[in-house]
Amino acid sequence: MAILVRRSNLLVPITDTERVNRAWRSDADAVTLDLEDGVVQTRKAEARGLVKETIALTAKGGAEVFVRVNAALLHADLDASVWPGLRGIVLPRVESAADVAEATEQTTALERRRGLDVGALELIVLLETARAVWDIRSIITASPRITQVGLDESDLAGDLGITPLPEHDPFVYARGRLVVEATAARVQPIGITYPLGIHPRRLPAAEVHRMATDARNLGMKGVLCPDPSWVAPVNDAFTPSADLVAHHKRVREVFASAVAAGTAAVPLDGRMIDVPVDEWAKFVLAMAEACDARDAQKRAAHGGS
Amino acid sequence: MAWRQVRRSGLTMPVVTRRFIDHAWRRGCDFINLDLEDSVPPHLKAHARSLIKGAIPVVRKGGAEAFTRINHDYVHADLEAIVWPGLSKVNYPKAESADEIRLLDAVITRLERERGIRPGTIEIGANIETAKGVAAAYEIASASSRVREFGGGSGYDMSRDLGVEMFVGFEQFAYGKGELELVARALGLQVRAAPFVANTTGSVSDADRAFREAQAARKCGFRLGGGLNPAVVEPQNRGFTPTAEDVEDARWVLERYRELTRTPDTWKVIDGRVIDGYEAARARDTLEWATLCAERDREKAAAVLRTRTAMAEPMSPASGVMRGDA
Amino acid sequence: MSARIRRSWLVVPISKPEEIARAARSAADVIVLDLVEFVAEEDKPGARGRVEAAIRTAQAGGAEVFAQVDRELFVADLHACAWPGLTGVIVSQLESAQQVADVDGLLADLEAKRGILPGTLEIVAGLETARGNQAAYDIGRASARIWGLTLGRADLIMDLRPEPSGEIHLMPYLMQRLIAVARALGAMAIGAWWRAPARGLLAGPDDTYQAARRGRAIGFTGSPCIDVLQVEPLNRGFTPDAAEVAAAQELMTAYRAAVARGVAVVEQGDSLVDRGSVTQARALLDRAAAYAARDREKAEMGARPPLARP
Repeated sequence: MAILVRRSNLLVPITDTERVNRAWRSDADAVTLDLEDGVVQTRKAEARGLVKETIALTAKGGAEVFVRVNAALLHADLDASVWPGLRGIVLPRVESAADVAEATEQTTALERRRGLDVGALELIVLLETARAVWDIRSIITASPRITQVGLDESDLAGDLGITPLPEHDPFVYARGRLVVEATAARVQPIGITYPLGIHPRRLPAAEVHRMATDARNLGMKGVLCPDPSWVAPVNDAFTPSADLVAHHKRVREVFASAVAAGTAAVPLDGRMIDVPVDEWAKFVLAMAEACDARDAQKRAAHGGS
Repeated sequence: MAWRQVRRSGLTMPVVTRRFIDHAWRRGCDFINLDLEDSVPPHLKAHARSLIKGAIPVVRKGGAEAFTRINHDYVHADLEAIVWPGLSKVNYPKAESADEIRLLDAVITRLERERGIRPGTIEIGANIETAKGVAAAYEIASASSRVREFGGGSGYDMSRDLGVEMFVGFEQFAYGKGELELVARALGLQVRAAPFVANTTGSVSDADRAFREAQAARKCGFRLGGGLNPAVVEPQNRGFTPTAEDVEDARWVLERYRELTRTPDTWKVIDGRVIDGYEAARARDTLEWATLCAERDREKAAAVLRTRTAMAEPMSPASGVMRGDA
Repeated sequence: MSARIRRSWLVVPISKPEEIARAARSAADVIVLDLVEFVAEEDKPGARGRVEAAIRTAQAGGAEVFAQVDRELFVADLHACAWPGLTGVIVSQLESAQQVADVDGLLADLEAKRGILPGTLEIVAGLETARGNQAAYDIGRASARIWGLTLGRADLIMDLRPEPSGEIHLMPYLMQRLIAVARALGAMAIGAWWRAPARGLLAGPDDTYQAARRGRAIGFTGSPCIDVLQVEPLNRGFTPDAAEVAAAQELMTAYRAAVARGVAVVEQGDSLVDRGSVTQARALLDRAAAYAARDREKAEMGARPPLARP
């Protein structure tokens, strides 16, 4: 089964022309044109009008293009967004399987009407209430279009009634449930470590990298980036390094020789290499290969523009 | 919780490695887990199955219980090979549904009957090693009365399922561990859990670390150990057993509590410590556990003595060396 | 129902009338008349007989009055407690939706018999066992009377012990899980984030303040306590402080200015502020205002100043 590589997803308010124009050069795996929290109420209609012509520009660097719609303006926003070149929709405030059904129904109808592949558009769902976190299983299994799921931590904080302190992560349960239920349902959990998710900041790349690495080691598969400065460190954190790849290639070689010689386990650099260790090496190498392929795609897109 | 086995230490070992099996009884473990799974490569699995029946009595010579870890994908073949008198438990990896456990129960029940093993003897260890398993934890743990322990939620396989590296220095599995522990407690099962202790070396043979972890686990009320390397056996036995001081202290608490019950108060602070019904319950628990550990240790010592005695006949007349000690 | 201000729940033994009177003079938002934890078994019948009068004493300073009842003895305990003036009951060790339904039914009967407005007696569900926590969601939605959930003495009843870190094993997990379930049901979560050794009987004022602050950071809005000296630290710990209020106001101002310019994301230093942060800030300001109003109200009723620093 193909590994979905979508390490960085850059969120750009569609009414911010300057940011939109720069987005394709950011090296993000995906760009989400935001019609929701990044756009003031008085400009929502204007924002809708911008989507169709912005998709191609945004895809110039090889990024996948998404649109984050308003839950309260679903029909109008989907109508404005489902056009050729779109990879999918980021759906916020999802509370139930019914919310998913409503979105997929309308998306299917639009795909049909506009001659797009029916069922091709993906859904990235964002959960913002305790209720949604509790009901996550029924939500993310409601449609095969759902490929990623994350928490909107600001809104979730409001729903949980918390006044967050940076030294006490209030989302250990919610985030943990997200990772386990998403992984179990073969949907990718996305997010970054506390408190950067709830209080996004522009930070030095090394710090973003560290937090993205911790997020990866919690089970996250990618990050919704509110700022272009996050993209490079996030991409890097979610990509196996050359050293790591070399190490795991060696592990696989050594283990294969051991098996050929008839033994079950063999020491290497002070660690025992057995079936689970070899399986992990396989996984890392597959991930590295998939990342390489994605990076090559993006380079090709840049080369051709 | 009436039923309480003493399983402070145990080694999981590939049944195909003869010297491990032969020496297992000397390790001092409370249990030996004969592995058919991850430490046995695919081309040796059939051979491994044929070894279990003979290995069970061999590893029990020092008084250890005999467990087996079977393969998730070879349930029928593995169970046929392992359900023999002397086996206490079948460890089943990567459990993901109640149906799997019910199937195991049914097959074990039939084999117990066919092979003259008292019905219900053999326990099932439902090991949760994937996200799907965590999501179905309650259904899995409640699927069979043969499941008597439950917990875990971390380790190699869980890490691989989530796609995370291990030994990164912070708690990566809080949700899974919390859910599994809650389920275990809710169902009255023995809890397999421990406080989080950061481990960035990934060492499985550090004796000091093993002792500290066992001690920290015991202070939190947990008693189940186990591992891969013989170096951790004695530290776990020691770490999970109450010391003489612990026993003294428990008796002191109970004395103070008995005095308290003769007054109208339900709690009191003595020497900066709270004395109440809860503390008294913990103290009673410590004494009970100390007794169980002592009994288990006597049991094991007796088994070792019997084995050494049996091996001493016949003895090499000149050297005084017991055959089998080499 | 959820907008009540209940930061401090002072639990007092029914057998000690002088403690009840002292509680009424404190700044506690809620006084809890206890029939479970601090009453010896043989004293319970006598204690039950004193509840009706105790409610009146407890009410005198403006606090709401709850009673803490034993789920196993709920029939006798509810008969003893459900009198006009009582706001609700905390029910210990609930483990199933059926038990909640039984309590709900009896409360309805007693309301009818005793001239209490039907449906007004509230329940706080004490989830103090593993089984209760496992079934938290089903329990929480089993009655419209359920205002809140609490772990109560779960650490003692479930025998959860201190870890080397000072955290009480499993409690951080159980707390966040309880809060998530409560909020999923639209209920409140009460409790605090106690750390060893300062929990329950051994918690002084400063430990109590810290436990409240930590608890607030994850979603508790108030906590039970057993000593009157813990009341003011709880009130203070659960109330937004001046610095937080100022920061929230600053954020709102910056955001409003940006929106006026047609921009929905603002940079405040290196922070990227958007509607989500603003919603949090607004909620904090609303809460601060509501608490201030409540505290003024209580001060007028003659209670001690609720937020006085020691």
